[in-house]
Amino acid sequence: MADDKDVLRDVWFGRIPTCFTLNQDEVTEREAEPYYLLLPRVSYLTLVTDKVKKHFLKVMKAEDVEEMWFEYEGTPLKWHYPIGVLFDLHASNTVLPWSITVHFKSFPDSDLLHCPSNSVIEAHFMSSIKEADALKHKSQVVNDMQKKDHKQLWMGLQNDKFDQFWAMNRKLMEYPTEEGGFRYIPFRIYQTMSDRPFIQKQFRPVSPEGNVHTLGSLLKEMYPAAIPSDGEQKRYQVMIHGIEPLLETPLQWLSEHLSHPDNFLHICIIPTPTD
Amino acid sequence: MAAVTVNSRSVMTDSAVVSERSGRVLAPRGSGRSVETWKRDIVRQLKNRDLSQHVMFQDLIRFYTQLLEKTSLAKGILSCSVRHPSSTSSSSISSMLHQNNQLKKTTGELAYQVVELQRQIKIKECVLEEQHARLVEEECRFTGVFDGCQELQEQVKQVQEENRALKREYDTLLERQRGAETRLREEKVREGHLLEDMIHLKQQAAARMNSRNERKSRAREANLQKQLQTAARSKVTIDSPSSAPTSRSTSPKKENQDQDSTEPRHTRLFRSASATSPRILSSIKELFDRKRRGLSVCSLEEDLMCPVRICLSARVPARALQVLDAHEQGINAVRFSSSSDLVATGGTDRVIKLWEVRAGSLTHRGTLDGSTEGITCIEFDPTGLRILAASYDKSALLWRLDDSVPKLTLTGHSRKVTAARFSSSLHQVVTGSADRTIRLWDLHRAACVQVVEVVSYCSDLVCSENCIISGHYDCKIRVWDTRVVSCVQELPAQGKVTSLDLSSDHRQLLSCCRDDCLQLVDLRRWSNDRMCFRAEGFKCGSDSTKAVISPDGCFLAAGSADGTVYIWNVSTGNLETRLPDKHSSSISAVSWSLSGEYVVSVDKSRRAVLWSDI
Repeated sequence: MADDKDVLRDVWFGRIPTCFTLNQDEVTEREAEPYYLLLPRVSYLTLVTDKVKKHFLKVMKAEDVEEMWFEYEGTPLKWHYPIGVLFDLHASNTVLPWSITVHFKSFPDSDLLHCPSNSVIEAHFMSSIKEADALKHKSQVVNDMQKKDHKQLWMGLQNDKFDQFWAMNRKLMEYPTEEGGFRYIPFRIYQTMSDRPFIQKQFRPVSPEGNVHTLGSLLKEMYPAAIPSDGEQKRYQVMIHGIEPLLETPLQWLSEHLSHPDNFLHICIIPTPTD
Repeated sequence: MAAVTVNSRSVMTDSAVVSERSGRVLAPRGSGRSVETWKRDIVRQLKNRDLSQHVMFQDLIRFYTQLLEKTSLAKGILSCSVRHPSSTSSSSISSMLHQNNQLKKTTGELAYQVVELQRQIKIKECVLEEQHARLVEEECRFTGVFDGCQELQEQVKQVQEENRALKREYDTLLERQRGAETRLREEKVREGHLLEDMIHLKQQAAARMNSRNERKSRAREANLQKQLQTAARSKVTIDSPSSAPTSRSTSPKKENQDQDSTEPRHTRLFRSASATSPRILSSIKELFDRKRRGLSVCSLEEDLMCPVRICLSARVPARALQVLDAHEQGINAVRFSSSSDLVATGGTDRVIKLWEVRAGSLTHRGTLDGSTEGITCIEFDPTGLRILAASYDKSALLWRLDDSVPKLTLTGHSRKVTAARFSSSLHQVVTGSADRTIRLWDLHRAACVQVVEVVSYCSDLVCSENCIISGHYDCKIRVWDTRVVSCVQELPAQGKVTSLDLSSDHRQLLSCCRDDCLQLVDLRRWSNDRMCFRAEGFKCGSDSTKAVISPDGCFLAAGSADGTVYIWNVSTGNLETRLPDKHSSSISAVSWSLSGEYVVSVDKSRRAVLWSDI
């Protein structure tokens, strides 16, 4: 299964070239140069943008600085979504690098959560893992872990340590062979068109008849519009980690290999660009 | 920066993808497809994604970041350099000038400070040099002292070495001394043995001599009786013929001998023995004269050895014939010679004076000197030719009467000699000393032949046949056997014994003690048979006051502290007479002439008094 391991690595080390530019309205002493960065897909915006903040603070007066937040083409970017999800959802078919505007004023309290420190991110991350494990193993695995094991998961993500993270995360991905998969697959389906932030329901990896559920069967259940009917032009793209897996891909495998570090399978459904 | 438009969709436009996509659509229906198609598709898509999104940008972004950093750095430097002139140019020149002035002032101050500091440095340098010089000096001195120290240490070593050598020598000497001492002890033991042997031999010789003498005397007696009988038969006598033999038989043999030996001084004896019938005596004397001429069997020496004179009757002195200041200082000792015509006095003035007694007066005949200290005791030898004296100068001296220079000086005592006597054998002398020893001297060898250790100060001693009697300060009178040199008897006394005197028959011993009592002991019966003589007013004046027995043994004479001479009667035990007023101080010694006529007393204040009964 060398391919599976490679998939895991590729997923972990996925990067998005990003150009940060300071918002034009910000008061600066001099002109702010744009800042370029390769953002890890599996991480969170506020966790990896310390350098960006530092860069722009150089040109700013200290009294003008409030909490930093990001915006792409008018859309405030939710830091509590993984970066890859944000990109796929909002900018998957645009010209690279991804250009993000940086703000230090007028925090959109209605749209975004405040993020005063990394401990908030950690709490969010850990709660996601626990939720996912509640779906997968009725929380048995995560509850059996010790505090330091939880810490190891978080530190692995924070410091971008693949081996450290997966040494612990492997346990979360185990399941009893006789059942053929997790109890429920932890997934979230995002779409730009709806007001609902995402779709999340209980969905078993194996049908009551004993057939293996695939990505297609999930979409059929959750978002039938995403599956093109015969002869019809494809209207939606189903994106996971910037790629479009085949609909026949088994859902259990996807959950094991293409889940984000928070153990959820984040699926973005975006309209096919019309040229 | 060039925008690279890479689009996932453009990748999808690949023909292969298209075919895959169509396949995918068909997948649920198609059964012959590989299960792994979807996975391979995912892997490929991931690779494409990374290629377009990651790899293409990573170098670009890195370089941009570096460039950005460099730019910001350069800008920072630039801004620094640029900001300055702009600020100065904007500020007024006057403030600049002011600043300049201030700077000049501070420069001046600083220059002054520099000068000041330099001056201080110079001073410090001087001090430093001085200290350095002193340091060098101290080092020199130190090296000097160190050398001295080393020298001293070497000296110490040398001295220690010498000491060690001396110690070694000392040890060897000590060893030798120990050897010598052991030899000495051996010699002493041998000497003791020899002496015993000698004494034994002497005793044998004496026994032989005694038996010979006895035989001789018996023969002589027999002869005499025979002659007497013949004389009785041939001559007509007034007395009955048996009287002479009876008197002979009743009188002891010793008396016979005594009369025999006293024969040369017969006239004097005769005069004093006034109580006996002169006729009988004259006849006896004639007989003796004859016998002596005819029977001189004994050696002359033997006769001279025992010239025991006897006084038949002493006369109690009644008045002073002469009073004279005999010496220049106190007189300690006085003694008549055996011939009774010579008196010797010895005093603190270190001389012995000889006085002739003639016609009831003392005539100075000579002075014997040689002692370096005062004289304590005087004795004439029985022949009357030599005089022995004990001295404070720890020696005893012997003179011949015709020579004022001492013939012998016997030294060896460690303290003053208190008594010196001729022993029964005339060539020996016995001395007693304050050093608590009694020494026996051989006059032929002029050496000490015997030392007797006593526990107490010896104040006086007398000699009898084979024995020495000594008086001590521990209130004891000790009797020594000269043959074995050991104390054979101790007689108690009531006080410190100051003097001893032996009667002429050697039977009675007089001791004078500090308890103002004269004590007479019968030597034949050592028992408690002793007589004490006291008198009211009699007081023993010193530790060496000398009392005497009269030559006939009937009286005792002693001088008191008040200057009175006391005479006791032995037979009654009472005081016979007191002779007061002639002495003005304590009487130190008294001597009774052998003839019984005279008594001489001497005192501490140079005075000598001649007493007689006439």
